[in-house]
Amino acid sequence: MSAISPLLSVHNLKKYFSDQKGFFGKSNTEFKAVDDIDFEIFPGTTLGLVGESGSGKTTIGKCVLRLMEPTSGEINFDGNDISNLGRSSLQSKRADMQMIYQSPAASLNARMTVGQIISEPLLIHQRIKGLQARSEVLELLARVGLKEEHYFRYPHEFSGGQQQRIGIARALAVRPKLLVLDEPTSALDVSVQAQVLNLLDSLQKEFNLTYLFISHDLGVVRYLCDRVALLYLGKIVEIGDVQTVFENPVHPYTQALLAAIPEPDPDIVEDEVLLLGERSNKELTNGCPFAPRCHANKVDACYTVKPPLLDHGADAKVACHLVSQEQQ
Amino acid sequence: MLLNIENLHLEFKTFDGISKVLAGVNLVLERGDVMALVGETGCGKSMTALSVARLIPKQSGEITDGRILFDGIDILGKDQAALRRFRARRLGMIFQDPTTNLNPLFTIREQLVDAVLYQCHEAGDVPGLWRGFLPSSRQLRQDALSRAVELMEMVGIPDGNRRIEEYPHQFSGGMRQRVLIAMALAGKPDLLIADEPTTALDVTIQAQILKLIINLVDKLNLSVLLITHNLGVVAKTCQKAAVMYAGRVVEQAPVRELFKNPRHPYTQGLIQAVPTRHTVRGSLEGIPGLIPNLNDPPAGCRFHPRCERAIDICRSEIPANTVIKSNHQTACHLY
Repeated sequence: MSAISPLLSVHNLKKYFSDQKGFFGKSNTEFKAVDDIDFEIFPGTTLGLVGESGSGKTTIGKCVLRLMEPTSGEINFDGNDISNLGRSSLQSKRADMQMIYQSPAASLNARMTVGQIISEPLLIHQRIKGLQARSEVLELLARVGLKEEHYFRYPHEFSGGQQQRIGIARALAVRPKLLVLDEPTSALDVSVQAQVLNLLDSLQKEFNLTYLFISHDLGVVRYLCDRVALLYLGKIVEIGDVQTVFENPVHPYTQALLAAIPEPDPDIVEDEVLLLGERSNKELTNGCPFAPRCHANKVDACYTVKPPLLDHGADAKVACHLVSQEQQ
Repeated sequence: MLLNIENLHLEFKTFDGISKVLAGVNLVLERGDVMALVGETGCGKSMTALSVARLIPKQSGEITDGRILFDGIDILGKDQAALRRFRARRLGMIFQDPTTNLNPLFTIREQLVDAVLYQCHEAGDVPGLWRGFLPSSRQLRQDALSRAVELMEMVGIPDGNRRIEEYPHQFSGGMRQRVLIAMALAGKPDLLIADEPTTALDVTIQAQILKLIINLVDKLNLSVLLITHNLGVVAKTCQKAAVMYAGRVVEQAPVRELFKNPRHPYTQGLIQAVPTRHTVRGSLEGIPGLIPNLNDPPAGCRFHPRCERAIDICRSEIPANTVIKSNHQTACHLY
């Protein structure tokens, strides 16, 4: 491993929601949205978080920024544990970590002009106002591909792609180190998506940004990420280098997910791995969460023991009994 | 020819003037075809589908020109009663969001049986007046119920007898979409219009639903018009595809031909803009510019402001369809 320490490392992150019945009701079951998540991101690289809806991708993103309080776990950011920071010390840390949201229209205040939107973080975190803030904003606008004349306009006057550029400019205003991108292009058309992806790529190189990139689109993840973690029902099932995982998926879920995604090329005939049924959080409190839908030849352990996330090869980890048995 | 749309023009009255949503759509669908209608937001793909079903809201929208021939008969000339019969017996439609298309207050049985009875009635299978209430013969209801259960099994909902008594919220997204497919197929239609049927679903569920639709095509002798923005879905499920841009079909070809040999600059740009598992970082090219404002569309070819290969004639004259090969047509001045 390199001598550089990771910018963000997460250990045993958990987020449970209690299933409270009624106002005074006791909570008897817990919904494990995120369960024992471990990962690291090195400066200047991108980790993709992939999974279907309900797999806990967004919850992890929000917990990492402490926009949502994790149930337990350790979040090390830039050498400090931020999982127990108080309000004011967290506030100062937040300048280093920003978020970009899925719906560009909903994440911009409709009553503020673009100039106000982008200068607000400057005012809060760096106490820059007036002309100085304005020149900074204009610089940011130019950097994300918008024009000076857009400064006094309102969000509704822009197309989806432009709105997402405004969101990116707002996040970049405080010169963060880490950006959590929560499905930044899933609301955009493909021709615009390509523009935004290329912008994110060049911004990363220019400002040495670190991305936590949440997406369900594996093509986009392959394009932008260095490493990828696949989630299923709140647990990482496979994590590794993007190229390795995509060309040689090990976990049965990864294989099925890759096969399920239709490639825009009629000549590619994928091995048919059709997953049966749908995900369910209720079944199997013991055992592998994926076991009810798994197409591989399962063993008894799949239903009784939770598979731990174990090393597989040099730089990858997989949580599957079948894989660990094979290795032994 | 099952469906033949000729020179369809559709306009909407808006506060900013008249929006020319469809400006000369030409589309041919043969019996047994699974055809994709592809395009980005606002290109008119859903509006084309709604025009075929004659579901364009009357207050604001108006079909100003063109013909829609279904089995040789122009459906633009039909009156309301004939239209109801047409929708019930010839056409099935499913939409993007399976949740909002089911009434949360009624069980699946009530909704599915209603659909079955309605379609029987419109077909003239059921005597009696329709207005206001359903035919109440017990035998008829029994038959409709068993047909509904049969439909549920056909679309792959196991244990239909029990599940039919449940409410929509007890079904998952994929299962709800199956219910809607069952409803659309209740009248044994010739054409199924699927408007982004898998966009709201997870990819593993998407694969299941697409497979179901393909199986039904063979089993029921259906034709499908699949509206989507996902080129992967097109490549995997359809035989033919039509690409739309700003209210016109710009290219129409068999799917293989379209992906291997796209001719229209917009189609080429669209295919290049999709990142796949094999796209190298930094090599993706978007299409520059924005989609045009349809209240004031560009003259000539509507794509010319974003087209790198535009020539003078593109700015002034609307390109006609050029036949590249049999089945492969494109509306571009370059050919």
